[in-house]
Amino acid sequence: MLKYIIKRILWIIPVLLAVAFITFSLMHLVPGGPWDRDKQLAPQVVENLNHKYGLDKPFVVQFKDFLWNTVHGNLGVSYSYQDRGVTNILLEGLPKTATLGIIAFILAILIGIPLGMVAALKQNSAVDYASVLFSTIFASIPGFVLGILLMIVFSVELHWLPTGGWGGIKQIIMPAFALAAMSAAYIARITRASMLEVMHQDYIRTARAKGLSERVILFRHALRNALIPVTTVAGPELAFLVSGSFIIENLFSIPGIGRLFVQGIFARDYGLVMGAILFYALAVALVNLIVDTLYAVVDPRIRYE
Amino acid sequence: MRKIAVSSLFAILVTVILVFTSACGGGGGGDGGGGPEKTVSQVLRVNLAGEPATIDPNKASWAGEYTPVWQVFQGLLGFNQDLTLKAVVAREIPSVANGGISPDGKTYTFKLRPDATWSDGTKVTAKDFEYSIKRLLSPDLAAAYASFYFDIVGAEAYNGAGDKDETTKAQLKNSVGVKALDDLTLQITLAQPRPTFLQLMALWPTYPLREDIITQYGDRWTEPSHYIGNGPFILTDWVHQDHMTFKANPNYWGTKPKLTEIQMKMITDVNAEIAAYRNNELEISRVPTGTEKAIMADPGLSKEILRYPALITFALQFNVTKPPFDNVKVRRALVTAVDRVSFVDKVRNGVGEPALSWIPPGMPGYDPDLGKEYQFNPAKAKQLLAEAGYADVSKLPEIKFQYADSTGNRLIAQFLQGQLKDNLGINLTLDPMEPKAFTTLVNNENYDSAWLGWSADYPDPDNWLPELFGTGAGNNHTGYSNPQFDALAKQAKSELDNTKRLQIWAEAQKIVMADAPIAPVFYREQFVLVKPSVKGLKTTGMDGQIVGDLFLADVYLTE
Repeated sequence: MLKYIIKRILWIIPVLLAVAFITFSLMHLVPGGPWDRDKQLAPQVVENLNHKYGLDKPFVVQFKDFLWNTVHGNLGVSYSYQDRGVTNILLEGLPKTATLGIIAFILAILIGIPLGMVAALKQNSAVDYASVLFSTIFASIPGFVLGILLMIVFSVELHWLPTGGWGGIKQIIMPAFALAAMSAAYIARITRASMLEVMHQDYIRTARAKGLSERVILFRHALRNALIPVTTVAGPELAFLVSGSFIIENLFSIPGIGRLFVQGIFARDYGLVMGAILFYALAVALVNLIVDTLYAVVDPRIRYE
Repeated sequence: MRKIAVSSLFAILVTVILVFTSACGGGGGGDGGGGPEKTVSQVLRVNLAGEPATIDPNKASWAGEYTPVWQVFQGLLGFNQDLTLKAVVAREIPSVANGGISPDGKTYTFKLRPDATWSDGTKVTAKDFEYSIKRLLSPDLAAAYASFYFDIVGAEAYNGAGDKDETTKAQLKNSVGVKALDDLTLQITLAQPRPTFLQLMALWPTYPLREDIITQYGDRWTEPSHYIGNGPFILTDWVHQDHMTFKANPNYWGTKPKLTEIQMKMITDVNAEIAAYRNNELEISRVPTGTEKAIMADPGLSKEILRYPALITFALQFNVTKPPFDNVKVRRALVTAVDRVSFVDKVRNGVGEPALSWIPPGMPGYDPDLGKEYQFNPAKAKQLLAEAGYADVSKLPEIKFQYADSTGNRLIAQFLQGQLKDNLGINLTLDPMEPKAFTTLVNNENYDSAWLGWSADYPDPDNWLPELFGTGAGNNHTGYSNPQFDALAKQAKSELDNTKRLQIWAEAQKIVMADAPIAPVFYREQFVLVKPSVKGLKTTGMDGQIVGDLFLADVYLTE
């Protein structure tokens, strides 16, 4: 098991290198650079900027410089926010994005799994239909529509919650819910489907025949198995939520990195985009590793050598 | 990110929701008036609409960047509300009469007020200005506005020395024509006369800076505790991407501000901004494009509308090097075929002023009689097109209209397409592009026709004509070239008699309008909501990110 994990961690290095190279090339291939503006800068000014940030060097040298600095913990300069380094910007935004993402993830699990379970256990009852209705609605409403609806109800009309910003619990409620809703709906549907399947398995019938209590059947035999598909989807959902959503961060003015990343792409802020992409790649790789490890915990049939 | 595609549908939905909820009452109001003569909080909460890239006065180049600078720093000169110049840190505006400008118009001597201080109590000296201007011109700083000051002796040579060694750079820096003669006298020498130089000295890039602070903290000197200025406010808090807090500067040497605090939030989404306004989190808010008419119809919000002209003109620009736009008659036909009144009404929701000439009202050089021949007239437009040899429009090559894809631009594009189809029978091909790709295409002059907006850096034709219509000028992307215009521009740029100078620019603008490389469409109008409690706002056509932000020190709040 340990050997497997170490092997996986080592594999992350070439993955990150490939991601870095592809992103770097793409950013430089896309038309327009960081200094192209509607009101064009004087040629002398552009020359000075290129010189200052090494953009006048050959592509290969720029990439080499980037790697060298990255290995030394310096992700370089952001061309949009020139007075603050990329490392600094990401470190400041990351905790906020991650906090929001983790709260949203916990919310999604806390809403999704019980809802799916109840729906499966009371199949075709009113509770089941309500659960299906809930998941269908929240799976189809995009986060930003839900976000603005929440804002209109709880801020503009009721004056209960602030419209955005960062700092207090009151400010997290709406963005976390808007972010979690779709994942919660998704998890509820998966849980329901897999729970239904498991409940019809032979070993559940065997357990019942042995005279085990419903509680033991449910939590020891059914739920553990039913959660395998849930674990599979929960991993990418976690990566998605933690890496930040541009729409939600933008709407609720959350000072996180999801917002910066998309703005960085539009601004051709190579430095910021590279930093953010590397972080995303690392986050996805680690989450996948955690999920694969969890399989072994959840399902005794799965073993890694 | 997987949800971006539906954004235009979303815009419609939001409009509907906004109108709907405002029709249901609620909103506005405030939390009920307190007792009489209660002290009113003097905290103004406004939206900067995003994290500024920098608040270093030398480097700032966007509204969102210089709005904070304006609160904390003051220059030798500044603007009055009517955009005329006033002396701020300078004792008086230099002129030939008071000896501040040499008769040849090349040497400027600024006398400083002796009482001006920094927020830490030390005196503002001429050295601080010398340091700032030389830093602005440094190739290592690579400031966007450096090129505005290339008329100063040695400025361009120093700014172009990026690849030179340090000794050469130091020499070039020393030969820049900016010198503090003593603590209160600053002398600037120009290589050639520049009649608008005083206006440039009223802009933020030349505000004084503290060499000791910047040397000590490097790029991080703009963080709150090191951001020492000489203006009415000080920056006390900056949570990146969230908000900035400014407090009244206790050591301010001028008239003390009435506000105790300004909070600038960084809400980028305009729908969220107006929601915050309606939840009483902001005193001033922009409105989402397209909702203006609904707001004007709302009984509550309509009373809080503030409208005033901005010095911004929008136009359709033609690539005159490409057929059929190389033919002046085709251009004139198109300019005549656009119904601007209907444009302002339908595309801009009735906000803005139809434009027939380039320089907007409120600026020296605006000519209300110019462009009358381009008054909307489909019959005349058809005739012009026939004279150009295109009585049969099917003979025209394919004409594309390129634009940066956004909800607002899409509306503009569709309107123009409809106008040319209805009035001339021309099929305009719409070509939406990613914003930067569009900018690059226009800057490289590879487009057919495109949308153009221009805002004032400083209120003078000098900033509006040569840069866009001079042969080969930096922002001339139409490919337009007329030796007559170039000759007049050259003359105007060094004419020291202001009346004569404006006359020459008026002549020059007439030539451009006759040649029609662009079709001015409308002058922008600001349209914002302001809570009734905000008093003393002074708006100008040059406002930055926040209305009246040149004069926030005069604002106060009532119950």
